[in-house]
Amino acid sequence: MSALAKASSELRIAGSKLPVIPLPTNCPGCGVALDLETMRKHNYVCPDCGHHFRLGADAWIALVADRGSWQERWGDVRSHDLLNWKVPKPYQEVVEHLLEEGLNEAVRTGTCTLAGRPIWLAAFDFRFVGGTLSIVAGERLARGMEQAASSGLPYVLISASGGARMQEGVLALMQLAKVNAALGRLHAAGVPYFSVLTDPTFGGTAASLALLGDVNIAEPGAAIGFTGPRVIKQATYADLPPGFQSAEFQLAHGQVDLVLPRTELRRLLAHLLEMYP
Amino acid sequence: MTRHGRKPDETTLTVWQVIELARHADRPYSLDYIRRLAPDFIELHGDRLSADDPALVGGVGTWHGRTTMFLGHQKGRSLKERVSRNWGMMHPEGYRKAIRLAHHAAKFGFPIVSLIDTPGAYPGAGAEERGIAAAIAEAIMEWFRIPVPIVAAVIGEGGSGGALGMGVADRVIMLENSIYSVASPEAAASIVWRDNARKVEAAEQLQLTSRDLLAMGVVEEVVTEPKGSAHADHDAAAAALDEALHRHLQPLLAQPTAELLQHRYERFRYIDSLIHAEPQFGPKI
Repeated sequence: MSALAKASSELRIAGSKLPVIPLPTNCPGCGVALDLETMRKHNYVCPDCGHHFRLGADAWIALVADRGSWQERWGDVRSHDLLNWKVPKPYQEVVEHLLEEGLNEAVRTGTCTLAGRPIWLAAFDFRFVGGTLSIVAGERLARGMEQAASSGLPYVLISASGGARMQEGVLALMQLAKVNAALGRLHAAGVPYFSVLTDPTFGGTAASLALLGDVNIAEPGAAIGFTGPRVIKQATYADLPPGFQSAEFQLAHGQVDLVLPRTELRRLLAHLLEMYP
Repeated sequence: MTRHGRKPDETTLTVWQVIELARHADRPYSLDYIRRLAPDFIELHGDRLSADDPALVGGVGTWHGRTTMFLGHQKGRSLKERVSRNWGMMHPEGYRKAIRLAHHAAKFGFPIVSLIDTPGAYPGAGAEERGIAAAIAEAIMEWFRIPVPIVAAVIGEGGSGGALGMGVADRVIMLENSIYSVASPEAAASIVWRDNARKVEAAEQLQLTSRDLLAMGVVEEVVTEPKGSAHADHDAAAAALDEALHRHLQPLLAQPTAELLQHRYERFRYIDSLIHAEPQFGPKI
């Protein structure tokens, strides 16, 4: 057994301690009373029923990156109210409020190590306008992919997104092309790209980078699809079966390679990084 | 500014009136244009995997003396045809057919003309089951590798990822009374307000008319439509589109392939050039 394989077999389930996130008193999956410290040590997965709570980009970075290895890039790139969007809420105010709360756009990206191996990491943050793909998000993704394509560092994506950001109009839609152009270069360069799909991943994010991983890994129970169930029902009056668009549904329909609990993710990524040097 | 004298911004139409023109039942559809551009057009069918998507037509025709691959969303004229064409809303098989035909064109060095006219990809359970998101994603990525010139035109509705899946090209132009949007006004209203009755307000904020897109640098040209809009005179609309597409294709035909693909990459990679032009967007790499 190589030193790295040995290290990965001893790999902790998170690189460093996860931040505190607000939790309900009881698990929505099974009703058990939740203990914050237990949940925090268990990557916010219910130890009883396996319900996965949503994580923000800060938590994902803590989970994936080796302690102290995270180097954020382009964190100062800021969004801009291009369309002068006013109703129902002024976009500028929404963004400023989220920035004041300490969130930094719907995608954060940078470099880190995972079990000692350097990677590029990008994490969506659903708390920032529903994790929507914006010009800033697209720019951070595309720049990281271009750098990964030239340096050869593997690229790891954590997605959680409602799709393209309405308030940035057609330029938000153009981010699908911008990001996929860069992703094409990443693939052409032979650089491994591991895509982790979390709840929820929809719309333009699913229809661009999230499902194009060399290995697509979905979290149990995550909702993944193109059109959301509400819109499908509105448009087609269809009754959708239970579990429609779940990670398990996408596994059965050939869209993801694995459905894997979050407590096993870090070990799997470390193993993949070893196998796809 | 168009080449036909009248500036598109001289219109006095409201945004919603433009949308109604873009969706007008008598508006020319892809086949109305393709049959005028290339009367010898031969339609080619199927994705070679499982099905043929009638919401997207594709095939070859002689256009200005050159075999050209034509692709286009096709809405139906009669109710029966609308149903069979699924109102121009593609399923995954449509995107797979498009990419098959793009590779076919590349094999023979045929340029590609893509006509966009869709409310969006089909928002139904079957499309989801067969991987619509991945089909669009693959198509968007694959278009960047197709080594022949591609010119696209939005001729009616350019709705969301369903349109962009057919809209990665070296030049993208729009007919004057067409629209191109991150989501249809109804879908945007449903997402932002959770109420699709707010479609007019959504439409007004989305900046989805041809002149909005020209101003944002997302399209290269707005093609003036005949008096009374394209539905009033299909021949004149087709002649205007023909002239504009052909003019945009000419310089592309002379470009070496590597340069063509590099320019296509840069066209979309830096499409929101504001991010570089304005300091608040942060530093350039």
